[in-house]
Amino acid sequence: MPDPLFAHGVGLAVIVIVVVKALVAFAALLVATMLMVWFERKVISDMQDRIGPNRAGPYGLLQSLADGTKLFFKEDLLPDRADRFVFRLAPLLAVVPAFLMFAIVPVGGVVTIAHHVVELQVADPPMGILFLLALSSVAVYGTMLAGWSSGSKYPLLGSIRASAQMISYEAALGLAVVTVVLESHSLSTRAIVQSQAHHVWQWNVLRLGIVPFVVFLIASTAEMNRPPFDLAEGESELGGGFNTEYSSLRFALFYLAEFMNTITMSAVAVTLFFGGPDGPGFHFLPWLWPIVWFVGKTVVFCYIQVWIRASLPRMRYDQLMDLGWKRLIPLSLGWLLVVAGVIVSVAWGFALLGAGIVGAALLYQAVRVGRRRRDASLSTAASATAVVRPGPPAPVLRSLDAEKAGS
Amino acid sequence: MGSLDSYLPIFVLFVLALAFAGLSIVASKLLAPQRPTSAKEAPYECGIVPANEPPQRFPVRFYLVAMIFVIFDIEVIFLFPWAVVYDQLGRFGLVEVIVFAAAAFFSLLYLVANGALDWGPVRRVRPVSSLQSRTTASTVRRVGTGSGEAA
Repeated sequence: MPDPLFAHGVGLAVIVIVVVKALVAFAALLVATMLMVWFERKVISDMQDRIGPNRAGPYGLLQSLADGTKLFFKEDLLPDRADRFVFRLAPLLAVVPAFLMFAIVPVGGVVTIAHHVVELQVADPPMGILFLLALSSVAVYGTMLAGWSSGSKYPLLGSIRASAQMISYEAALGLAVVTVVLESHSLSTRAIVQSQAHHVWQWNVLRLGIVPFVVFLIASTAEMNRPPFDLAEGESELGGGFNTEYSSLRFALFYLAEFMNTITMSAVAVTLFFGGPDGPGFHFLPWLWPIVWFVGKTVVFCYIQVWIRASLPRMRYDQLMDLGWKRLIPLSLGWLLVVAGVIVSVAWGFALLGAGIVGAALLYQAVRVGRRRRDASLSTAASATAVVRPGPPAPVLRSLDAEKAGS
Repeated sequence: MGSLDSYLPIFVLFVLALAFAGLSIVASKLLAPQRPTSAKEAPYECGIVPANEPPQRFPVRFYLVAMIFVIFDIEVIFLFPWAVVYDQLGRFGLVEVIVFAAAAFFSLLYLVANGALDWGPVRRVRPVSSLQSRTTASTVRRVGTGSGEAA
C-alpha cells in the first residue's frame, strides 16, 4: 500500500507537510541523541556506583550539549599520511545514513491534516525495511574508509575488523528480517506494524517464536559496533579504533552517528517485533497514545542496550566470527524454514524442525572436522621445527602442547 | 515521478542531514584554532614513534569472509521477494526455499569443514631476533633531549 499522502499528486500543501515532517524528525533525532548520550552515561554510572555527569544543567542533562559545543572549538587535525578527500568524506558517510535510517520507522498512527492523510513517520516507501538494510550497509563504508584513509595502522586494523564484523552479521540480520516479512507479507514498515496491531499475541516477538527477535537483537548490536561487539574501537589494543586520528567536530559526527544508530535500531526492533506504536488507546487525544507507546518501548530498548554494555565484556575476534557465521546464520536460516513450514501446515513445521536438528548435528560435525584438520596441519608444522631442537621428542597430542614444546 | 514520490521526505531529510554535517564542519573550521605541527600530524600510536609502515597486506581470511558474505547476502536478497508473496505460493514456495536453503547450508558446511571461517590465532614459529631492535631506548621519544623532536 503506497503512502496515502501522495495519493492525489504532489501539491504545495503536501510539500509543506513533507518538509515539516522531515524537520521535526531531524530536530527530534538530534535532541534524542543528546539525551541518549546523557542517559547512557548516567545509567552506566549508576550501575558502576558512580554519580556520572551532574554539572551542566539539571542532573547533568546538558552535558552532551556542552561536550558538543566544546568540540566545535577544538583543533581539527588532518594527519599528514591521510588520504585528504576520503578522510573528510568518511564522517559524512557515517552520519547521513544514521539520520536517514530513522526515516522509515513509524512513530505513531495516522492523522488527517487539512484533508491530507498523514502517516506519522517520515517516509513510507514500498521497500521500507530494505531501505534500512541498504543504509546500514552504507554506514559500513563510513567506518571502513575512516580507518583506511587515516594512514595509521591501528585505525586501519580497527576498520578492517569492523567491516568484516558488520558484513558477517548483516546476513543474520537480514534473515531475521525476512522471517518478519514472511508473516506481514509486505516490506513496508507501516504494513509490518499494522499486521501486529490489536493484540499482544499478534506481536512478532511471540508470533514468530522468540528466536528471530533474539537473533535480531544480537546482530543489530554487532552491526552497530556496540559493546560487547565493539572490536572496531578496542581501546586496549587499538589505541581507540577506527576513529583514532579524528578530532574536533569530525570525531563528534562519528559519535553522534553511533548513538543515533542505537536509538534507530531500538526503534526498529520495536517496529519489527513489538508492534511499534501499538498499545491501548484512549479517547482523550487519540493521536498521542501511539506515540507515547512507541517512545516508551524504544526507551526500554535503549535501556537494554546500555544494560548490555554495562554487563558484558568485549568478545574475542574469533568468538565473534564464530557466533555470527556458525551459530546465528544457521539458526536464523533454520528458524525461517520452520516458520515458513508452519504457515503451510503444522506437520511441515515439525518436519522442518526435525531437519533443522539434523542440520545442527551436521554443522557440529563440520566444525569438528575443520578443527581436526587445522590441528593436523599445525602439528606437522610443529614437528618439522622440532627436528632441529635437541632433547627427547615429546609426543605431539594437540597443537597447543606442540607449540609450547616448540617455543 | 509517480512511485518515487514516497522518497521525497527521505530526500528532504538527506538534504537536512548533509547541511547539518557540512555547516558544523564549516563552523568548526571558523571557530577552532589551526596550529598543526608535525607531531600532531604524525600517526597516533600512544606516544610511541611509528617505526613500521601500516600493513599493505592483510590476512586472506578477511577477503574470504567478504566473498562468502556476498553469497549469503545474495541469498537473503532473493528471500525478500519470496517472503512477500509467500502466502500465494503455498507448498510450492516452501519446497522451493527448502532446496534453496539446503544449497546454501551445505555450502556453509563445506566452508566450515575446510576451516574457511576459522579465526583462531595463526600459530607460526617466528624468529625472536627481529624484535630486538625495538626497545624503549629506540621507540620512546624523550622530550627535551633534542634529536627526533618535533619543531
